[in-house]
Amino acid sequence: MSAFKYDHNYKTAAEKDRTYDAIVIGSGMSGGWAAKELCEAGMKTLVLERGRIIQHIKDYPNMNKEAWDWEYRGSITPAERKKHYKAGRTNWIGAGNKDLYANDLENPYTEIKPFMWLRAHQMGGRSQLWGKQTYRWSDIDFEANAKDGHGVDWPIRYKDIAPWYTYVEKYVGISGQALGLPQLPDSHFLPPMELNCVEKDIQHRIEKAYPNRNMTIGRVAHLTEPLNGRGKCQTRNKCSMGCPYSAFFSSISVTLPAANATGNMTIRPFSIAHSIIYDEQKGKATGVKVIDAETGEMIEYKARIIFCNASTLSSTRILLNSTSNRFPNGLGNDSGELGHNLMDHTYRVGALGTFEGHEDKYYKGRRPNGIYIPRYWNIDEASKSDKFVRGFGYQGGAYRKGWGRGANIQDFGADFKDSLLKDPGPWEFFITGFAECLPYHENKVSLDTNSLDKWGQATLAIDCEYKENELALNKQIQEDAVEMLEKAGLKDIVGFDSKHEPGFGIHEMGTARMGRDPKTSVLNATNQIHACKNVFVTDGACMTSNSCVNPSLTYMALTARAANHAISELKKLNL
Amino acid sequence: MKRREALKNTAIIGGTAALFTSILSLFQACKAQPRLTWEPQFLSIEQAQLVSALVDTILPKTSTPGGLDVKVDILIDLLYGNTYDEQAQQSIVTEMEKFNDKCMAKYGKVFYELDAHQKKAFLQEEEANSPKFNSGVWGYSVGEQKPVGFYRSFKSLAVWGYCSSEEIGIEVLKYDAIPGDYQGCVPLSEIGGVWSI
Repeated sequence: MSAFKYDHNYKTAAEKDRTYDAIVIGSGMSGGWAAKELCEAGMKTLVLERGRIIQHIKDYPNMNKEAWDWEYRGSITPAERKKHYKAGRTNWIGAGNKDLYANDLENPYTEIKPFMWLRAHQMGGRSQLWGKQTYRWSDIDFEANAKDGHGVDWPIRYKDIAPWYTYVEKYVGISGQALGLPQLPDSHFLPPMELNCVEKDIQHRIEKAYPNRNMTIGRVAHLTEPLNGRGKCQTRNKCSMGCPYSAFFSSISVTLPAANATGNMTIRPFSIAHSIIYDEQKGKATGVKVIDAETGEMIEYKARIIFCNASTLSSTRILLNSTSNRFPNGLGNDSGELGHNLMDHTYRVGALGTFEGHEDKYYKGRRPNGIYIPRYWNIDEASKSDKFVRGFGYQGGAYRKGWGRGANIQDFGADFKDSLLKDPGPWEFFITGFAECLPYHENKVSLDTNSLDKWGQATLAIDCEYKENELALNKQIQEDAVEMLEKAGLKDIVGFDSKHEPGFGIHEMGTARMGRDPKTSVLNATNQIHACKNVFVTDGACMTSNSCVNPSLTYMALTARAANHAISELKKLNL
Repeated sequence: MKRREALKNTAIIGGTAALFTSILSLFQACKAQPRLTWEPQFLSIEQAQLVSALVDTILPKTSTPGGLDVKVDILIDLLYGNTYDEQAQQSIVTEMEKFNDKCMAKYGKVFYELDAHQKKAFLQEEEANSPKFNSGVWGYSVGEQKPVGFYRSFKSLAVWGYCSSEEIGIEVLKYDAIPGDYQGCVPLSEIGGVWSI
């Protein structure tokens, strides 16, 4: 890999020339794709990253560490926990990955209602931390708003995005099993990861008991075969500490190096996008105001087009902050919908139980993946529910409890210890649902000028809650989960609903939605601001509804599609 | 218990860790109790004696190393001192005192002073009376979790500290740093034990 342009004196490099063909705000999941597509088309592109640079592999100091290599076995101190007092609610932050989570003290936000907002403020953003589950949306998703009347209609359908799914999948590398389901179209797949013997048994039993339900291996952005010089997954399950094999997809390891290889990318770290500059005479955006995170200095960069990929809520914060005579309430906010219709997926509602059998079998490898049960409610007339609209899918998996069960065994002493070290214990299986959330106008974010961040900037106040339909879906998730586990013969079944507030799904979507009508939406069918067409928003902010499947693949496909549209429009001198 | 009170009083008078260390050797010289061979950073000497005795009773040395061999007691002191916030530290100290008080009421001695049979009998009762941990999904336990109490939470920390130590994690449990392709259905006899991490 050739060195990134920021390597030495990155600021001088960016300051020599403050005018670019394109500016991409954000270097994560979608920003990386924008950078790659634009740079490969020959456009001089400035990528703004609010945090530090992370060079693939070179900057993964923890990638080979084990629990015993840490002074506190990977636990963090109270001072470190305080820095992550919001995202720490996930219980995921440990010594090996804490530096990838944003400092919540420096970046406050207000929870008008409880909302867990997880942020990653460094190169790669959350593409270094994501779950790698990758699923295509279907027309059931793109038509949902139009059919049941919630929100506004998507301006696109599956046929518009399908070729772009294929395009990004071939480059990202998605492993999975083709099923031919209308509600969950197949991707361009690498070989699937294996189900373990208990999962196979449960799969047969569930599919036998329920003819319209399927259980399959998770579709994931982990390579199961080498691709473009990247190695395949070695099932170490240390992804967030950095993968030395480049086996999982992140912008750090895949798209940004590709953009860099063109020689057209300049990346400027410690660069907080303050606002997008709108030129009243030209009737378009001319650049981005940037705060240097280290010096506090305000700098302006100019470009012909701007891609806003700062992550759902941060992109919307930038647009809300971009006021002008033409757009007094935020760039592109003619409709009044900017900041509204925030969605997430419900999280950790399901069931678990113990499986009897296969005690003489085990697995090898720490598979960074589990099983998936695609949506089966409201996909046709026969599966229609009278209790809720939309649906949910499940993730889950079977594993042996291993030494982790030690504390619960009613014994101690010599025999206890010796058997804990020899016997992997019973098999446990769980499924947990992800339900679609409807787009409600009143679920929203707004600028809070009373609470400022470290740089004196207005922060976001988040006002979002699940409502009747989401709660009905959650109820069904738990009921169905318990019933499926019963039919699959599991014992000691426990249904659960963790009653997490929105944000826990880390699939926040909406707040600058796409739509057909400028009066009710912010972006058009190619992710351009209706009334400022050289600004593109292609991260989760653009979503008009939120399906029940994980969204990253759709962000990537929408970004590649929008970037290629931008390139062709520029060639036609339309922007 | 005289010794216990003496220690408490000395702690109040002395007040510094440096002084504490010299007192430690003094006590160990004049009492026929198991010697504390390490210097706690957070725990008092008496609390450290309890931690070591519990670790040794839960995870004794057999054909494989015991909890003390891989310094689980020292780790627990480090974790209490550096990864627990003040409130949690206070609560753990209170719980340790209560645990010893219970022991005192029953045997007239604190836990580390009990003989092996008494220790066993006392922990058997704790085992029977302590609620269990709920199963967890992705970092969170599910359902309503009853407070598990000092004994079970200590046991959990001890087992984790033991199994995540380098000696046990590599030499005793089955360790495979780079497993390669996931294989979902392998005879247990081929693995021959429990996966390390």
